[in-house]
Amino acid sequence: MTCQEVQLNLSLYLYGELDFAQEEAFERHLEGCALCERALNREKEWHAAAYAERQDVSFELLSECRRSLRTALRSGRSPELRTSWWARFIPTGFSATRWSVQIAAASFLVFAGFTAARWMDNGRLAPGSGSGFARMGLLDMSNAHVREIEPAGQNGVRIIIDRVQQQEVTGNLDDDTVRQWVLAAMQDPSDPGIRVNSVEILQHQSGPDVRDALINTAKTDSNAAVRIKALEGLRQFAADAATRRAVEFVLKHDNNADVRAEAIDILVPADRPAPAMTPDVLTTLQDILNSEQENDYVRARSLQVLRAMNISGPVY
Amino acid sequence: MHGSADRSNETALIRAAQGGDAEAFEQLVRSYDQSVLRMALNLLHSPEDARDIYQEAFLRVYKKLPQFRFDCAFSTWLYRIVANLCLDQIRKRKVRKEEAAAVTTTSGEMDRFQFLPEQRADVDPQRQLMSSEVSERINAVLDKLTPRERLVFEMRHYQGMRLRAIGESLGVTEEAAKNCLFRATQKMRAALGDFL
Repeated sequence: MTCQEVQLNLSLYLYGELDFAQEEAFERHLEGCALCERALNREKEWHAAAYAERQDVSFELLSECRRSLRTALRSGRSPELRTSWWARFIPTGFSATRWSVQIAAASFLVFAGFTAARWMDNGRLAPGSGSGFARMGLLDMSNAHVREIEPAGQNGVRIIIDRVQQQEVTGNLDDDTVRQWVLAAMQDPSDPGIRVNSVEILQHQSGPDVRDALINTAKTDSNAAVRIKALEGLRQFAADAATRRAVEFVLKHDNNADVRAEAIDILVPADRPAPAMTPDVLTTLQDILNSEQENDYVRARSLQVLRAMNISGPVY
Repeated sequence: MHGSADRSNETALIRAAQGGDAEAFEQLVRSYDQSVLRMALNLLHSPEDARDIYQEAFLRVYKKLPQFRFDCAFSTWLYRIVANLCLDQIRKRKVRKEEAAAVTTTSGEMDRFQFLPEQRADVDPQRQLMSSEVSERINAVLDKLTPRERLVFEMRHYQGMRLRAIGESLGVTEEAAKNCLFRATQKMRAALGDFL
């Protein structure tokens, strides 16, 4: 590969889109060419700078989109909610006229009826067993899980099925059951969108159960947006000793700069005089100032707090 | 969804949704909706437009799902719908921009885009402290890409999609997608290579 070929393929190399032989030739050339190596480093820099421009989706926007879609589907803006099951057996490109489709469908139904009757007559399918669709491969297993299965008599089988059933709960947050559901949803590991919605719903609620749940989420949730929401909810408990200890813990240990910034804002609201701080927090703030890797905003806020308390920090 | 277990789970979800199972459809939406929304937001730089694309794309998926025959991956099919919607929107916007970039005010003729609110400034305090020069240049060059180059660059650079999948989603060959990406990266390099 020549220098020109290498430099034309810099991006494709970084994207991993060169084929094996091209990649080999590319790397062989790079080993002995300082000029192309520099060009590759420049390429990496603009790739990283462009990537930093990526806009992330806020949970508010995502939740709003999900809500509107759900509403649109329920309100019937969408087409028919349920297609008839036999329509699935008709190929997409099928161009027969409507009457022939109807005859075909009717014939299939008659055939299915006769077959089912034969099975039932032979005692192979007990009436009322509800398993006819399973025999025809039409059993909907998407919300069911077989927990146990064992032989039962000759040719028999005993199956225990766990089935997930959708249930709607509507009510006031003062209702203990509703409140418990929302608190449980805050711990849902599968969907950060549900957790962030639950935290938002509880944000303006008081009580030790809400405070403890928010503290737990702020300290342990795997998603930074959820942790920030939980901290926002903890603002109302900012004077409480347990809350302050938890927020101090977050400031010290959280690896996300936005979460740490939120923690500082709770410990020391920008529009009020700084309250008394534990020596531990002051040390953490000084460590933040000393850290080269720390986010600029977090460092600026730390400096502001330390200055407000007349504690000198390093030159920033 | 990448592994074979995930794929079979996805197939089960699609079949259930085709049969009218609303919960299965919702799960399917949730598997992809963040990346669909991110793609629309990155391409259009407008939460309102991104929200419209999201809604329209999933409503179309819902409408056409009974006809989905597994001829391609579900993700390819979905991104084809999203890509077409985004392309339409970018093209419409380009026309509008050319037609109405300037407005007449009492102080004379001014660029309409000066009146648009800053969409990103309040999102992240870190951004407020950062120099915006690099950011402006990147956005300017992205804005100058053709709609198709912009889309391919978005899908490869930001969404991490392979060129083969991008080609399938856009209904073009992998080679055509590669050429498009090549042109886009050449323009980015020309504008940013010596600047950084």
